[in-house]
Amino acid sequence: MDQTKNHSYNVFKKLGYPSKKLENWKFSNSNHLKSYNVINQDQPDIDIKQYLAIENALCFVNGKFVKESLNNFIYKNQISIGKTIEVKDNKILKMSNNFQGESLFNLGIAKFNEGIFIEFKKGGKFDTEIKIINVYDKKTENMFIPVFNIFKLNKKNNISIVEKNVNNGLDSFNLKINKFICSDDSTLNHTIIFNDNTKSNLLGYNYYESGLNSIINVDSFNYESLFNKNFIQVDLNQAGGETTINTLNLTKNNEHVDNNILINHNSEHCTSFQNVRNILQNKSTCVFNGKVIVAAGAHKTDSNQSNKNLLLSKEATAYSNPQLEIYADDVKCGHGSTTGALDKDSIFYLQTRGIRKEQATQILIKAFAHEVIKQFSNDTIKNEAQAYLGKWMNG
Amino acid sequence: MIKIKNLQVSIDEKDILKGIDLEIPKGEVHAIMGRNGSGKSTLANAIAGNEKYEVKNGSIHMNNIDITEMSVENRALSGIFVCFQYPVAIPGVSMAYFLRASINAHFEHQGKEEMDAVEFLNKSKKILNELNLDDSFLKRSINDGFSGGEKKKSEILQLLCLNPKFAILDETDSGLDIDALKTVANGVNKFNSKDNSTLIITHYERLLQYINPDVVHVMVDGKIKKSGDMSLAKEIEKKGYSWLLK
Repeated sequence: MDQTKNHSYNVFKKLGYPSKKLENWKFSNSNHLKSYNVINQDQPDIDIKQYLAIENALCFVNGKFVKESLNNFIYKNQISIGKTIEVKDNKILKMSNNFQGESLFNLGIAKFNEGIFIEFKKGGKFDTEIKIINVYDKKTENMFIPVFNIFKLNKKNNISIVEKNVNNGLDSFNLKINKFICSDDSTLNHTIIFNDNTKSNLLGYNYYESGLNSIINVDSFNYESLFNKNFIQVDLNQAGGETTINTLNLTKNNEHVDNNILINHNSEHCTSFQNVRNILQNKSTCVFNGKVIVAAGAHKTDSNQSNKNLLLSKEATAYSNPQLEIYADDVKCGHGSTTGALDKDSIFYLQTRGIRKEQATQILIKAFAHEVIKQFSNDTIKNEAQAYLGKWMNG
Repeated sequence: MIKIKNLQVSIDEKDILKGIDLEIPKGEVHAIMGRNGSGKSTLANAIAGNEKYEVKNGSIHMNNIDITEMSVENRALSGIFVCFQYPVAIPGVSMAYFLRASINAHFEHQGKEEMDAVEFLNKSKKILNELNLDDSFLKRSINDGFSGGEKKKSEILQLLCLNPKFAILDETDSGLDIDALKTVANGVNKFNSKDNSTLIITHYERLLQYINPDVVHVMVDGKIKKSGDMSLAKEIEKKGYSWLLK
């Protein structure tokens, strides 16, 4: 690991902080990320009893795993758990080549000390969702917090993970590296609820490797994040793999959200669907950089990519860059992107039935969001998105 | 009921209605016939308050109240309803939610308590049955993926749920097969009463055969050129519109 860390640090030093000349950072500014100091992991300065009481939750405080959370973890006998930093197997540690060229990914690898490697045992039954709660205390103010977690699903495992941050309005730079190894016939539902009370910076590198006939669903709902840049890469390496990525971002004020998604269809008979919707108020910005690469020989690929942006303010900006690269013949691939304000004809139609303009506007915003919310694979994120949307529109 | 005086309307600076005078008393059904582009749909949109249509002159009164400057929703709440020729599709909003929100907007305006879900379902299912529509229709998004016939029936469903004082049917007969036409006509006849009035906009006589309007008007180049009874509609069916252009 030391060798890997040294190598990554050298790569970071060589590349420096990403500039806007880079395709992946064209619309995201990294300058403000330079001022954060690497956190020194000592005793947390927060009472975490309330989080430890949550059933089936794995808690992290300031990026550090809290062992006591295993006491309330119903699957503790069906997993093996260790520190990522102690993993020796390079196959387990190996991340996407695409991320290797990212300077801040390398910075994360070089500086992380915290993070866990969980392996779900073969034949284990995991019917209840697993919560991951990331709590940050006051010590994280102005701190850079890199964490690297690895999850390995064995054959036929069916796992639901719901990840949530509790940031308490602190100004920090949270860099999260996740790797998910999904073995043959496994199903992963990874749900991420981002809410950082508009002060922190989130940078995520999420890498998913699929096995034969494995299913990977990634749902994310983002609100109140000052800066949130999330990389997702799914490698469909074996035949019959399926992945669905559903994302809803609500932004206002000067918030900036950037979704960077790469799906590699490396094998035949795989399907992938991306549905990313952004609703923007005030001067906020959203970026969608989505790419699907269908390798030669990945026949019978079925892929669809959709990004829709609803601008509720003339000052809000959405950048959309859906891309397809196809090197196989027998494939079905589609992509589309729309950006615009609410449809005036739809508002008029609702008004002609006696519905007030303000209510008509809210109905249409909810309808736009609902097209993603209904696709979310789990009730936690569905309920949270529905509940928050009303507040967000009125707030 | 509805009184339109010297109504002049333009769209994108182009004059479409060039002085319409029309009065439809309570309890009467009128029909407006005319060629494509004569201004029939413009009249419907202007009465509904569509801001794309600029009223340059004239007035619209509903029950002696000037509604010419009124907001779209207040016109609807005062009892005006338009069955649109091309209603928009709104994915993500179910018909049930939409209908109940519309009914409750009217109830609130009338100072009534909200209609509860059970009463709403009973009322709407009865109307759906009359329109030969399945109950599952309520779960579908507004006009999303609807066939031409379903769109027209959806408009009639809304008409019967909201029971307005004055309804305009803008080419509700277009694109309907004979069975659907009869169903829609039955719906309109069910709505028509001595307490409300209706304006039917159409190209053809066939819908009027089932509804039997009290007065038939013919619109030519943004004006009402001729008015008469049902025999005028029959004459147009036989001779076309060209004789009226002279």
